[in-house]
Amino acid sequence: MSVPTGVSNASTTTPPEIEQTLAMLSGHRSVLGYMVLSRGGTVSIIKHSGVVFEGEQGRKYAGLIERIVESVQTGLEEISGEQNEGDEIRFLRIRTKRHELMISPAERYLLAVLHDPSS
Amino acid sequence: MSDKRRAEILAKRAKLEEMRKAKAQRQAEADRRTSLGRTPPPKPDDRDLDDYIIKIIGQPRGVDTGELTPSIPGTPSLSNIPIPGTSHSGRASRGSNEGSDRLPLDSSFGRYTSSGTDHVVDHTLIPRVTVDLIDIEQELFELPQKERVLYNKEVQTRDLSDENDADAAQAEVELRERILRERLAEAESAAAREKELDEESVRLEKEIEAEIRDLTEEERTIILGAPEFADFVESSTKIIQRALNDNYDYIRDYTLGAESGVDDSEGKRVKRVCAFFDERYGKNRSITDVDWSPKYPEISCAAYNKNPAALNEPDGLVAIWNLHMLERPEFVLHSQSDVLSVTFSPFHSNLVFGGTYSGQILLWDMRSKHLPVLKTPLSAAGHTHPVYAMQMVGTQNAHNLITSSTDGLVCSWLVDMLAQPQESLELIHAGHSKTGEVAITTLDFPNNETTTFMVGTEEGNVYQAHRYDRAGAKAGLNQYDVYKGHTGPVMGLHFHPLVGPVDFSDLFLTCSVDWTVKLWRAKSLTNASGPPPPSLSTNLSSSTSGKSAGAAGSHAAAIAPIYSFEEADDYVYDVKWHPLHPAVFGTADGSGKFDLWNLNTDTEVPIVSTAVSSGRAINKIQWDKKDGRRVALGGSDGKLYIYDIGDMGVPRESEWADMQRTVSGFAGAGQGGYGDGESGTRVMAGR
Repeated sequence: MSVPTGVSNASTTTPPEIEQTLAMLSGHRSVLGYMVLSRGGTVSIIKHSGVVFEGEQGRKYAGLIERIVESVQTGLEEISGEQNEGDEIRFLRIRTKRHELMISPAERYLLAVLHDPSS
Repeated sequence: MSDKRRAEILAKRAKLEEMRKAKAQRQAEADRRTSLGRTPPPKPDDRDLDDYIIKIIGQPRGVDTGELTPSIPGTPSLSNIPIPGTSHSGRASRGSNEGSDRLPLDSSFGRYTSSGTDHVVDHTLIPRVTVDLIDIEQELFELPQKERVLYNKEVQTRDLSDENDADAAQAEVELRERILRERLAEAESAAAREKELDEESVRLEKEIEAEIRDLTEEERTIILGAPEFADFVESSTKIIQRALNDNYDYIRDYTLGAESGVDDSEGKRVKRVCAFFDERYGKNRSITDVDWSPKYPEISCAAYNKNPAALNEPDGLVAIWNLHMLERPEFVLHSQSDVLSVTFSPFHSNLVFGGTYSGQILLWDMRSKHLPVLKTPLSAAGHTHPVYAMQMVGTQNAHNLITSSTDGLVCSWLVDMLAQPQESLELIHAGHSKTGEVAITTLDFPNNETTTFMVGTEEGNVYQAHRYDRAGAKAGLNQYDVYKGHTGPVMGLHFHPLVGPVDFSDLFLTCSVDWTVKLWRAKSLTNASGPPPPSLSTNLSSSTSGKSAGAAGSHAAAIAPIYSFEEADDYVYDVKWHPLHPAVFGTADGSGKFDLWNLNTDTEVPIVSTAVSSGRAINKIQWDKKDGRRVALGGSDGKLYIYDIGDMGVPRESEWADMQRTVSGFAGAGQGGYGDGESGTRVMAGR
């Protein structure tokens, strides 16, 4: 079982543009946190911010998000069949009672943002 | 987390074991039905056991397992038979039951019933059947048989059914077959269950492996440095920011609670929608030009000039802003020198043109990155002076970009060939007392016109010019018609957009540094003045004596404005007609004020005057092309303000007629009483 060995949020080598862009994202008034994951094989957290994605809970979210995206992708593939290239997910927006989780998946990476729309 | 999983796996394994045990027990019970003494044992495995048992017990009494499923009552004979407890060890949980199973008779059967997993057997105590031999099979567990001797303390006599040997034998055979079948079925189902459990445990293990694992620092560095990661971050954050800006809470339940916020939009208010400003790119820069995209109504662009403090940043920028994403521009396009004018291409949704301080014309494509995809060369063929005005004319198939610079050069370019202008025209004012050069600050084409246009100059005059030779006039500036009125450089010139039942397209507005906005009527081409025939003399002069233009086209005359708006108390930097309402226009001045005028309502004062940015000038106005509800104001503080005027820009049916009346009121008053030879006829209270 992977024990978090120094999961550091601010890696020392984040390019400044990326840092700035993500900081702008997390600075939005209703955003509670974001998480950048890398997909493909195993899922790993590249970068995250916000209390809600810290530590163990962050991993849970990461696993959950990856499972959600995987299952939706599989479902889409089932539906669309083999002949056409198939649909692919562009954006997922899960509105729960308390929050809204927005997931923007790509081939190798994934950006998830948790925000509170009523604030 | 994986601990839990492991625990789950263990639990599952335990369950699996139990099921196996249950199955084994069931089989054992089935076997028990088979008579101990049966010579051909139903299964090969049984053979050994049977032998063993026979060895121990002696001859089976011939009483058989007939009582397999139901009603196999306790055979009294069982009691006599101490059956070695085979495979007991494997059935730890049922040890006691096993023991009791050995015991024939009611008691045992009673215990049978109590053993929960034996749903195969329902035991009715019908002491009809033969002896129940306890034959214990070790099918599942290869455990050594433990010898156990048990004595049943209960009925020790044999059953009555001992006598029915023949029947018993037959029944035995049938039952044996039945047992076989049932055993097979059980075995299959048990095998299936086992397989299921195996699969599940495999899945669980896989899940444990697929845990979220941490990245090492090295991996993280590699990922963060990859360019595709940067692209991914760019595109996905844009999408998310646009989604974040969508403030509507779509799960709102309107039946609950009262909305405390009141929407206070009155009809006559000009509301600020947003102010686009980028910390990095907008600081210390001014906006020099603004345009809306013809294709996407939420997209606007602003051109910026140089940031004197930042020497490493590009001198000129064009930022493309999206109304749905307030924090950052959609795209930022770079230029090597200050961008003074910008326009979206009306025919290609991705192209943006810009004119710069160095005279270069740049073409950007929004799909590619920051740099322009096409540039005009810095040569004498193109412009060598700042390009303050540009306009796209023509149709989809035949269009040109017309640009003008402050040295009087007007060039026409083909969009895909920016290497040299298609045609260039130097406007020269031949009859000017001081210099022939015309310093063009602004340029505009009347609607649907592509060959004749008006230019505003630094000296305050407005001239008409032609791109091509016509009969009676050469290409170039028409020096004989001077629209004289302003006393300072003309900052903005805009023709009335051609829309609606009445055509006002010969009206144009100009604004200038002399704090005024003036309304003019352009002379049509046929009416344009030409060189005076030599016979006419004294009244004619192209100099400063003010005379209103008569209908006689052959006079070179100074043309006075129809009306002059004196409201402003600072330089007026831009004026633009509203695209839909014939009588509405907006002005922006140097104190940061945005005035909205409606000529049908009031010709002296604006209907709404809004202080947009405190103290900083507003450089440019541009109305939203689609429905004219929004207006983009570019400020000299680098901020792009978007205002919504609500319903004030929506024309009613009567507006055109009203406007016509207004204009003729202007013109009539102008004709009636003009000033005494002063340039710039003033009209007093035209309506």
